[in-house]
Amino acid sequence: MLKPILLVEDNPHDLELTLVALERSQLANDVVVKRDGAEALDYLLRRGEHQSRDDGNPAVLLLDLKLPKVDGLEVLKTVRETPSLRSIPVVMLTSSREEPDLVRAYEMGVNAYVVKPVDFKDFVAAISDLGIFWAVLNEPPPGSLRLKRTRRVDEQND
Amino acid sequence: MTDRTPDTLADAVARCADEPIHVPGSIQPHGFLLVVGEPDLRVLQASQNVAEWIGEEAQGLLGRQLAELIGDSDLPQRLAAVSGDDRNPFHVGDVGLRLGAAAGQSFALMAHRNDGQLILEFERTGSAREAYGTLYPLMRTFVAELHAAESLESICQLAVNELRRITGFGRIKAYRFDQEGNGEVLAEHAEPGYASYLGHCFPASDIPAQARRLYRENLIRVIPDANYQPSPLIPQLNPVSGAPLDLSFASLRSVSPVHLQFMRNMGTLASMSVSIVVRDQLWGLISCHDAEARQVSHQSRTACELLARILALQIDASESDLLAQRKLERRHLIVRLLAGMADRDSVTEGFKSLPDVVLAFAAAEGAAVVSADSCVSVGEVPAREQIIELAKWIAARESGPLFSSDNLSRDVPQLPALAEHSAGVLAVSISNLHPHYLIWFRQERVRTIKWAGQPQKQRDEISGALTPRHSFETWREVVRGFCAPWEEAEREGALELRNAVLGIVLRKAEEMAQLAGELRESNKELESFSYSVSHDLRAPLRHIAGYTELLSEMEGGQLSERGQRFLGNIGDAARFAGTLVDNLLSFSQMGRSALHLSDVDLGALVASVRDEMRPDYESREVEWEILPMPVVVADASFIHMVLRNLIGNALKYTGTRERALIEIGAHQRPDETVVYIRDNGVGFDMQYANKLFGVFQRLHRMEEFEGTGIGLASVRRIVERHGGRVWADGRVDQGATFFFALPHLTYTETANDRKD
Repeated sequence: MLKPILLVEDNPHDLELTLVALERSQLANDVVVKRDGAEALDYLLRRGEHQSRDDGNPAVLLLDLKLPKVDGLEVLKTVRETPSLRSIPVVMLTSSREEPDLVRAYEMGVNAYVVKPVDFKDFVAAISDLGIFWAVLNEPPPGSLRLKRTRRVDEQND
Repeated sequence: MTDRTPDTLADAVARCADEPIHVPGSIQPHGFLLVVGEPDLRVLQASQNVAEWIGEEAQGLLGRQLAELIGDSDLPQRLAAVSGDDRNPFHVGDVGLRLGAAAGQSFALMAHRNDGQLILEFERTGSAREAYGTLYPLMRTFVAELHAAESLESICQLAVNELRRITGFGRIKAYRFDQEGNGEVLAEHAEPGYASYLGHCFPASDIPAQARRLYRENLIRVIPDANYQPSPLIPQLNPVSGAPLDLSFASLRSVSPVHLQFMRNMGTLASMSVSIVVRDQLWGLISCHDAEARQVSHQSRTACELLARILALQIDASESDLLAQRKLERRHLIVRLLAGMADRDSVTEGFKSLPDVVLAFAAAEGAAVVSADSCVSVGEVPAREQIIELAKWIAARESGPLFSSDNLSRDVPQLPALAEHSAGVLAVSISNLHPHYLIWFRQERVRTIKWAGQPQKQRDEISGALTPRHSFETWREVVRGFCAPWEEAEREGALELRNAVLGIVLRKAEEMAQLAGELRESNKELESFSYSVSHDLRAPLRHIAGYTELLSEMEGGQLSERGQRFLGNIGDAARFAGTLVDNLLSFSQMGRSALHLSDVDLGALVASVRDEMRPDYESREVEWEILPMPVVVADASFIHMVLRNLIGNALKYTGTRERALIEIGAHQRPDETVVYIRDNGVGFDMQYANKLFGVFQRLHRMEEFEGTGIGLASVRRIVERHGGRVWADGRVDQGATFFFALPHLTYTETANDRKD
């Protein structure tokens, strides 16, 4: 059983388009969708309605930077500070490179970020690339390949 | 130059200055003196010469009642009324004597109190007519004329003439003391046969300090005959105080033998001096001499004293007037200077723009403003390095904001080259934090002083005592190395200017701080604006593009060809809008992010831009003419963007040409590097040249040449951030040339310095 991909996105259009992109990348992983940071943390920390969910962490966390209630940075912080969650690869989805919080996201140990391209074809390519890399290939402990791969992902989205 | 021997001279003057001239123990014999005790009015002391005057031995008078001597019954009341506040002798009246050989004779009695003693001086009586004859014209004409007099010299001349009229002395001269105490003769009346001293200087050592003190307090002194025999007081010590009698204010006080010798050497037997005391300072003297012995009645003396007081008032008024006028003029100059500085927003620029005002301000030949690393000067000044050295020297003194010297070789011997150019400086600090100075320079003013004889008293080689000089022949001294002295008003004006400049600087600093604050605020706003633009505008565009794409893929088959074209247009429009937003963002970023200056090889950059764009022109025929390019100091990534834009434009606007010609080159100017990119494209109409570099300004229709209208605006912004400029040259259908000029920067210059 493949671990699921956890997608946290509040904008319904972005959500739909991202799901289409993930679908097209032909990943076999389930996609769990959460609509804000609080829901995402409940899921990750198995709180509230997720108390009885199956064991295990998602294969990758696709996290929008701007989220209602608890924003993406805070989710990232909690993930990195919680021993049981620390090893989850986190990919930030941002609307543009201009986002001032991007630097902070890096400081807090995000594994990659994607500036959502306006062109849909580019978007599909970026998402599937990410999905394949983090959800399928990513088995070694986080950090060992991070730097190199991160740069590659960046270049792709430049 | 004179061969001065300051040590021995100073010693001699000091001994002279020690002579207790206020307690000589004797009087001049042209009258007699009694000291009486109060309230019983018994005689305590008498001058020995009472014997000659009234035929009674001094010793015999001691202890006797005044009433035995003088018959006037109301004398005790009149004496009691003599004030102790004004210690100058007061004519209490003419009295008749009852005793001895002089019985029945009348004497003028002058009384004054000093140090608790009632001192009575008796002289021959004058006539009431004489008093009227001297005082009335003094009041009527002299006072009126004084008001009309315009200069100090003419005021003094009037006083001299008036004194001549009252006293009849052979030579009368009025002189003013300078700061050292040397007296310069301003006005003179000399009868035939008397040497003239007009314009001459009398050295300070002629009048010892304690004599000056007496002159200040007691306005008038008369020596009717320099050959007099002093008459001692009997007894020598005052029986009440047990000390010699203080004769400071007595008109009969005997003078120093040094002074009498001085008079005889000068060829005069009679002298009178009247003090001019202005604001409690001994401003000058009117000194009268006569070759013959000459009596001055107490009425005349009173008139002279009154004249001296009127004169002093007039001098005071005249000097205050002059001072006020100078202050006003200086204030006026300060206002002009400050206005100049404020107009140009710079102390230095204001200074440079008003050289005449700067120089007039301190009546100087040259002036300079020295700040951190700059030295700007006007007029005649020493070499720049010397000015900077001087500023350092002044800063190192750490003694207040003002420094002045009228003799640099004496006061700043460390900088001999400076003194070769200028004799004096006035410097004032114009910053509380930094060694910044305003400095005025004055050149040497060679002065010839006409001394009335050698300006030292001769020292008796054997006794060491001073003997007054014998020669009053004009002796010229040439004084070198001095500039005209800096007046107090000039020094005060400099301080006033300093305060005003500090005020300007402070206000400017505050304005800058406020401006910087506002700028930070608006930058912040801009950032949050870009953020929301990027985030909120980009997202819907992304959605439109995404859904259009999906729609076209999934349902495209059901649409007509036209419908599919529409869908394609929607997608293109959304993508274009996305690019527009991205470009706008990077444009706004250009204005905010700091410049990272480094060596930039323009040739290499051009080559990399050409490589990068190869896909765009591979299929076209493009002839490149790339000339050698220099290395400049600039922000590499920004300049890369500039070249990419300009070369991209050149390619774009030659797209319709069969054979595109693109020439890229650069040339060096003294203070900038000019880079140009020339093409043979569609060109532009020069009347729109000023619009080329504006945001969203396009000179072509969209379908002719695609673009967001932001490229050249970015180029201009980047170049201007470097402190450079951009311009273009072109004609419709004749190609275009774009230029940008970058100033020669150094690595240390921060981007902000270059922001306009």
